[in-house]
Amino acid sequence: MTTENVSAKVQPRNPLIPVSDQTWAGLAVLAVTLVIGWVMSRTDGTAAAIWVLAGVFGFTLQRSRFCFASAFRDLFLFGSGHNMKGIMAGMAVTTLGFAAIMHWIVPNPGSGVLPSEAHVLPVGLSVVVGGVMFGVGMVIAGGCVSGSLYRMAEGYVASWVTIGGVIVGLGALTLTWNWWYGTFITHEPKIWLPNVAGLGYTGAIGLTLLGLLAIYLLVTWVEARNGLFTPKINRKVTPAMTFPSRVREASDPIFKRGWPIVIGGVVLGVLGIVMYTIHMPLGVTGELMRASQLVMGWGGIDVPVLDGLATLGGCTGRSGESGLISHTFSITVGLLPGALMGALFAGEFKLRLPNNWRRYVQSLGGGLLMGYAAGLAIGCTIGAFFSAVPSLSVSGWVFGLALGVGAFVGTLIIKRIP
Amino acid sequence: MTERNEDVPVLDVRGEICPYPMMKTNEELDKNRPGVPVLDVLTDHPPALSTIPPQAMKRGYEVEIDEIDNGEWRLRLSKA
Repeated sequence: MTTENVSAKVQPRNPLIPVSDQTWAGLAVLAVTLVIGWVMSRTDGTAAAIWVLAGVFGFTLQRSRFCFASAFRDLFLFGSGHNMKGIMAGMAVTTLGFAAIMHWIVPNPGSGVLPSEAHVLPVGLSVVVGGVMFGVGMVIAGGCVSGSLYRMAEGYVASWVTIGGVIVGLGALTLTWNWWYGTFITHEPKIWLPNVAGLGYTGAIGLTLLGLLAIYLLVTWVEARNGLFTPKINRKVTPAMTFPSRVREASDPIFKRGWPIVIGGVVLGVLGIVMYTIHMPLGVTGELMRASQLVMGWGGIDVPVLDGLATLGGCTGRSGESGLISHTFSITVGLLPGALMGALFAGEFKLRLPNNWRRYVQSLGGGLLMGYAAGLAIGCTIGAFFSAVPSLSVSGWVFGLALGVGAFVGTLIIKRIP
Repeated sequence: MTERNEDVPVLDVRGEICPYPMMKTNEELDKNRPGVPVLDVLTDHPPALSTIPPQAMKRGYEVEIDEIDNGEWRLRLSKA
């Protein structure tokens, strides 16, 4: 058969009912979110701004079903590069924006000075071990840290278990951090491309964009080799006769139907740039690290003084902020109402309980691995990859390659779990 | 297009975490019911709406997606 006569059809349920119960719930969440933002703005304008941006971040992740676990795993599992293409597009956009910001902070690279707050992280065994562990964990759990966060808000109970595992894993890392730091990380160089071999900004940006393009073409080749093509979705047209149903129809591409993945990537890229201008690049692990230290305190476990962490930058370096409301709180917790609104406005919210007990074990185990790994690599797929590659940091590429290796191993594991 | 009837085999992957909805569908089409003319897949996993269709089409199926409840869909896969 030829590809012309295969198609997918979508039949919307009750297409003429413009406002459902879930829509009202979504509006209530919006109102509460804005009130929290307004309260925050009274004491910390930056925290409030991050809170709002994080809401858009969560909404975008949910709407485009952005998933780093799937990006790596599906190349091996299904020969699909769907999510990876979105990530490449997003990082290309972010690279240009970050370069402009970093150029403003460090106009003359080559002096050895690194741009403050950019996610330029140490390159060495820690990031390789962290990347492989994280890759295995995200495939076993069925989502990375950011993915599990937004799925938590969508009603995936397994993702709550995963995030619990991440928090415990970060605690385990906290207890062993000083060994890792003293043995390896303190000797590992932070390699920033504009400082390398006279590349400067032009060379570093060019090299990064070429690398992203090469991966985009590689995954396109993988898809072609596997006979995959993006289906053209035909929709049954139900005439919208009333004003509310027309408004609903017009808003469906944003609120109802999943966004094209490249659009999602580009929106996330722009959000990352805005976030860097007001605070620091995107990252979600810092707050989970704080949560793990809080839980350790409740359990009577002494949190050791973490050598060198605050000087390394990146997500977890921020975990020293005190008080409930912090910048890391705004970004990590702030994405939850955004993702919840995404699900509610689409009428997709549902408590999803796996029937198979193995899924809970997988979620917990994958979470533990990811937590430990995200602490070790100083960030997850967002902080140590999606924000690091555009920071023109070699660590982002090393972490990404290690994620690929880990995802491959994880794929072999999940194929054996019924 | 196939008419709605009760004899259509159903694969219920509701509640499954990523990527099992897609894996189980492929397994059903390749191993459990090879060459099945029509199969209904019930899922509550939104990403499956964009991952199952390409896999089914690669195997020569047309896909029709029905929203059956909040966050639940039926994908009817039928041999064209």
